[in-house]
Amino acid sequence: MQIDFGARELTIKLVYYGPALSGKTTNLQALHRAADPSAAGRLMTLETRDDRTLFFDLLPLTFRDKMGLSVRLKVFTVPGQVIHASTRRLVVQGADGVAFIADSQVAETQGNADSFMDLKENLKASGMQLSRMPLVIQFNKRDLPSVRSDDEIATLAAQGREPVYLAVATQGEGVVETFIGLLHLTWSGLDAEHDLTRKFGFDARVFIEEVASKLGSQRSLPELLGTCVGGALDVLKPEAVR
Amino acid sequence: MTNAATERTAAELALGETPSFEELVDRAALAEMVHSFFELFRLPIRVFGEAGQILADASEQPALYAYLHTSGAGRRALADVVTRVKTLDPGRESEAMFQCVTGALYQISSITYDDRQLGRIIVGPYLPPGSGDPPESLTALDPKLDPARLRELLAEMPRGRPETVTQIVRHLTKTLDLILFSGHKAWLTSSMHLASVRESFRDLSDKNAKLQQAFDRLKELDRLKSNFLATVSHELRTPLTSIIGYSEMLSEGIAGDLSPDQREFVLTIHEKGEQLLELIKGLLDLSKLESGTMSLRKADVDVVPVIRDVAQTLTPSARKKNVELQVHADGVLPTVWGDAERLRQVFLNLTENALKFTPDGGTVTLRVLPSYMERPPDDDAGFVLMATRRAAVEVRVEDTGIGIPEPERNRVFDAFYQVDGSSTREHGGTGLGLSIVRRLVDAHDGLVHIEENAPRGAVFVVRLPCRRTTMA
Ligand SMILES: Nc1nc2c(ncn2[C@@H]2O[C@H](COP(=O)(O)OP(=O)(O)O)[C@@H](O)[C@H]2O)c(=O)[nH]1
Ligand SMILES: Nc1ncnc2c1ncn2[C@@H]1O[C@H](COP(=O)(O)OP(=O)(O)O)[C@@H](O)[C@H]1O
Ligand SMILES: [Mg+2]
Ligand SMILES: [Mg+2]
Repeated sequence: MQIDFGARELTIKLVYYGPALSGKTTNLQALHRAADPSAAGRLMTLETRDDRTLFFDLLPLTFRDKMGLSVRLKVFTVPGQVIHASTRRLVVQGADGVAFIADSQVAETQGNADSFMDLKENLKASGMQLSRMPLVIQFNKRDLPSVRSDDEIATLAAQGREPVYLAVATQGEGVVETFIGLLHLTWSGLDAEHDLTRKFGFDARVFIEEVASKLGSQRSLPELLGTCVGGALDVLKPEAVR
Repeated sequence: MTNAATERTAAELALGETPSFEELVDRAALAEMVHSFFELFRLPIRVFGEAGQILADASEQPALYAYLHTSGAGRRALADVVTRVKTLDPGRESEAMFQCVTGALYQISSITYDDRQLGRIIVGPYLPPGSGDPPESLTALDPKLDPARLRELLAEMPRGRPETVTQIVRHLTKTLDLILFSGHKAWLTSSMHLASVRESFRDLSDKNAKLQQAFDRLKELDRLKSNFLATVSHELRTPLTSIIGYSEMLSEGIAGDLSPDQREFVLTIHEKGEQLLELIKGLLDLSKLESGTMSLRKADVDVVPVIRDVAQTLTPSARKKNVELQVHADGVLPTVWGDAERLRQVFLNLTENALKFTPDGGTVTLRVLPSYMERPPDDDAGFVLMATRRAAVEVRVEDTGIGIPEPERNRVFDAFYQVDGSSTREHGGTGLGLSIVRRLVDAHDGLVHIEENAPRGAVFVVRLPCRRTTMA
């Protein structure tokens, strides 16, 4: 995060992590499509000819609250291919929150786990700890036939501590929910660490609701946050974040 | 590749900072673009950076301005105009209009990118079509200036309709924004490329250094340990072999007949000698495992043949004890990632124990089934992703023997620990077997624990993970 008290400006870095082809870029595209033009900049994709992300995608979002505070969100994706390990390490540096995009297909289970281990190692290599990183997990591609069942995911999610979202990114389903969950968790963490609410006289709830509405969602914040599966909801309460 | 460039890149990557105008746009190309604008519309145009530096200029000084420069008041008025158009805040709308003393107009548009002001475009001075008379602000400027001349020069000023000029400049701003975006993208690609290469290099050098260090340490350790271990094993084993060999020969009467008492004593010497040899072998294994000098030769291992081999090896002693020894392995099983010889040692130890502690008429069953390792032992992050993380094979060694009470189930894996000290005399053994088992299973990233076998007996459950497949 970067704080510029003079300009009353805050820059937050969010990273979409996950195995190759799990739908990270598609998530950003859906966010970009959903976002009000006043909030979203151009979606930048650094990709190769075969559509695979070469370095990263970057979606800049900017929100201004009534008090004149401006919050700049930089949403990155990482390239999933094994060979881009060094790029993933670079992109993840300085991340304030991570959304892990998993591929729901049964056959991808191991790939998801490997990529998660990779995330953990890359964070460690950058001096960050996974256990202290605001993290949400999305199971994408729910529309495909051979996916892990809702029940299985819900049961497992209930035993873990991260909020888990189900999504069909190609149809924009679950995309905003995942993003808002991540933003909420990230904000709670940053607020606890830097006392932002007090320093900026800032109402996080109003702000996040504003973001949600700029992303085309009419639902209330509790409703949006409530869409995650499993018993991980309590981590979303600010007081549960260290 | 200077250091500053690297740091810039790292900071950039950390938060996606936007580089400056000059880093994004080629100066010569910008000049060309501005020039063709001028050719097309005949309107003076200038592009300034945020610090006020001029980036491109396609304008000729109007003759009127040259004339004004001949007067002190005129010079001052024009200098003021320059300052104003360069500093005027175009505000949220990003565009503004400024009228100078001559009545001429300036269209000012800020160039913003990613919500940051990078500079401004200034188009002007120009006059709306039709306007003819010099305004009072101009004629009153300096009495020395000739009004007729002023009117004449004013007529030569570039012309344009303000609404049209606004439209044109808007279009230009949009085009410029696209150019900035492309420039930003190219800039990011190249700095990312550079950073990635550096990072790969750093990572590799890092790994190299670590490997070298570990290698040096191991070499040293190995030298010390294996010296020590070699000495111990040689110095202890040589005399022990003699003790065992000679006592055996004695007991067989090779050196003459023995009295029953003598025979019994010699047999005891022989038996204890064998025990001592076992102990030394166990200690050697254990210390190798502890020092990390036992090298495992891992490959994809099919566990079932290993188990069958163990059962075959121990069938004679099972028969001798009248204990039934069974193997159950049904279904398709994945291979595990391990050292077959060491795995054999694990199951040999466990099965020996099971036979040892199972009385006459009992049963020992070796069961192999597919399983999975639930999660990495020390961390619960990403449970939903890691829960079914690795396929595994479970081997259960079940007996109907004396069993192991709950409080003892962890301690039996300690070196030399035996549940009932007096059983040593009854059953023999060194108390090292299970500690070796635990260490070997650890070395395979596996888990071992003890369960109850109803109605009696113990079950040793070993789970061994399959190889971690690499990311697709
Ligand atoms: N059926 C289905 N396909 C998806 C979904 N999300 C992404 N995809 C497809 O998966 C492929 C890889 O997506 P992409 O976003 O490029 O993956 P990335 O490598 O994680 O950035 C593309 O062909 C997408 O159209 C989804 O929810 N359902
Ligand atoms: N199958 C079993 N049934 C009952 N007790 C057992 C069994 N296996 C091991 N034990 C207990 O654990 C102790 C340690 O076993 P181990 O390390 O193999 O040493 P040892 O077999 O040399 O005594 C044994 O002495 C015994 O008390
Ligand atoms: Mg991608
Ligand atoms: Mg034993």
